[in-house]
Amino acid sequence: MLESLRKLGGVEWEIPIGYTPNMNVPGKFFLSDRLAAEVEEGAIQQLANVATMPGIVNYALAMPDIHWGYGFPIGGVAAFSPDHGVVSPGGVGFDINCGVRLIATPLREDEFDNRRELIERLFRAVPTGVGARSPMKLAVSELKQLLVEGASWAVEHGFGMDADLLHCEQEGRMEEADIAHVSEKALQRGIPQCGTLGSGNHFLEIQVAREIVDRDAAAAYGIAEGQICMMIHCGSRGLGHQVCTDHLKVLEQATKRYGIDLPDRQLACAPLHSSEGEAYFSAMAAAANYAWANRQMIMHTARTVVADLYGVDYGEMHLVYDVAHNVAKFEEHLVDGRRVELCVHRKGATRAFGPDRPEVPQAYRATGQPVIIPGSMGTSSYLLKGTEIAMEKSFGSTCHGAGRVLSRSRAKKQYRGSTLKKELEQRHIVVRAASDAVIAEEAPGAYKPSDEVVRVVDAAGLSRVVARLEPLGVIKG
Amino acid sequence: MPFTELEHTADILVRVNASSLEQLFAEAARAMFSFMHEQRKKGSFSRTLALEAADRETLLHDFLSELLYVAEVDNLVFSDVDVSISGSALAATAYGEPFDPDVHAEGTEIKGVSYYGLQIRKDEQDHHYRVEILFDV
Repeated sequence: MLESLRKLGGVEWEIPIGYTPNMNVPGKFFLSDRLAAEVEEGAIQQLANVATMPGIVNYALAMPDIHWGYGFPIGGVAAFSPDHGVVSPGGVGFDINCGVRLIATPLREDEFDNRRELIERLFRAVPTGVGARSPMKLAVSELKQLLVEGASWAVEHGFGMDADLLHCEQEGRMEEADIAHVSEKALQRGIPQCGTLGSGNHFLEIQVAREIVDRDAAAAYGIAEGQICMMIHCGSRGLGHQVCTDHLKVLEQATKRYGIDLPDRQLACAPLHSSEGEAYFSAMAAAANYAWANRQMIMHTARTVVADLYGVDYGEMHLVYDVAHNVAKFEEHLVDGRRVELCVHRKGATRAFGPDRPEVPQAYRATGQPVIIPGSMGTSSYLLKGTEIAMEKSFGSTCHGAGRVLSRSRAKKQYRGSTLKKELEQRHIVVRAASDAVIAEEAPGAYKPSDEVVRVVDAAGLSRVVARLEPLGVIKG
Repeated sequence: MPFTELEHTADILVRVNASSLEQLFAEAARAMFSFMHEQRKKGSFSRTLALEAADRETLLHDFLSELLYVAEVDNLVFSDVDVSISGSALAATAYGEPFDPDVHAEGTEIKGVSYYGLQIRKDEQDHHYRVEILFDV
């Protein structure tokens, strides 16, 4: 299958115009030979499909964790011109602003005990798994305010500190949010789930910074070898899923109305400044704000548990950074030497802005934006930094995770949750999950090695490794 | 087999096969319920749905999406459904029981029903209806 593609050199590959009819730009992806041998034809086809969308700029891009999804491939990045371009839920996904945050604690590995008790307490404190509901009773008026204010709503209501906001992508709030375009159904789903982790690949993990690769950057991010950290991976829950479902329906009609011809219905889209496009964008922004508030609330709960158990000060557990990996945003980029505003879609991809960008918080501006790449259960996660090369090559984007190689059902046939749990415990990794089945589904062997994906983004220069984190314990839905 | 799971690494892809359009919709819903919760029984709770759509793929998409929504907001675990279709309109009754974390925690949260590859076909030979559905999980 790769024969019809062009290797540009190193880890860069091109899908030439003509691979599929009506491509406006070529496709481009980043893979090592090892990862290229496993890439699915469906994923390449989906990337070529993205290249047919109106107003796409330069390339339809995919990161090294590219895999077969729906609409965009997972790992897909595309930028659209505001004049001729479109916005599409197919480039964001159902879990709007699914993302990751990393928290550094003052605890060090050599003084860190009681791991099992910590994981048990976290599992009891954070609503986790299918059907889990928040103990908080949010009024509709409060939810509406949260959707406008994002993470700052959570901080104002006692779930965190002001400093946290500066360390969130977009400061944890998209100002385009407009609740007029969030349906009653979405609101109903949002009320009971605020502060819940969800299920599947979502998790809260306790990690240790095992290896520091870039000392200066690690120092800027406040991470030292042997430091105990926490990582949270989750998104906008049922509210975000409903926003996607609702607007997909409207945009399907809009696609026809604006005479846009697409090879996949899931790529349904509308011009960025059409009423349908603006309605989706503002509802998506509200769902993104929900996700930031959600991660903020889960972090607050986790900090409280750690503070109680280890007697550390809540204020000493600083948020390193929070990144979104399913979102569309307006950003300025250089195109043909001119600074232009584009609508960048990232679906299973992470923003990775280089140094000196005003969007990167002051404390990190000389270093570049922190990028957080979660590993699969039992494997390393990585902290990286954004680069100038990413700004030139990928609209300031990099990968978002390892990417699956086995379907969930195959993983369940191949692995037993209880056996995996014992194996992980032998490696001193404590797992607490809502069910054994989810442990089997999320088996480390069901994912590409995160090391390889990270090595490729480093080789391509899309981001640079700062530190490697190893898991010590995890709670999962 | 009313449905079979096809290989898809990231999400859940199923092929549904049935002798009528109504059965196809009902089997698609049962397939979805089976991924959502391992343990489920018919129970005494029911919810009715009435939908209309411009084409039958959209009707199937909206029907499954509506079931996801109702199950979540009413905190129900569905196990079965009756469907009737007349032209572009669908009426359905879904049966289930209230969600109980001790019984129903094992399962997969379905985030959405995708339009990707969603095309209902009628087989010329056996006159059966078939469709592949991709669920985001």
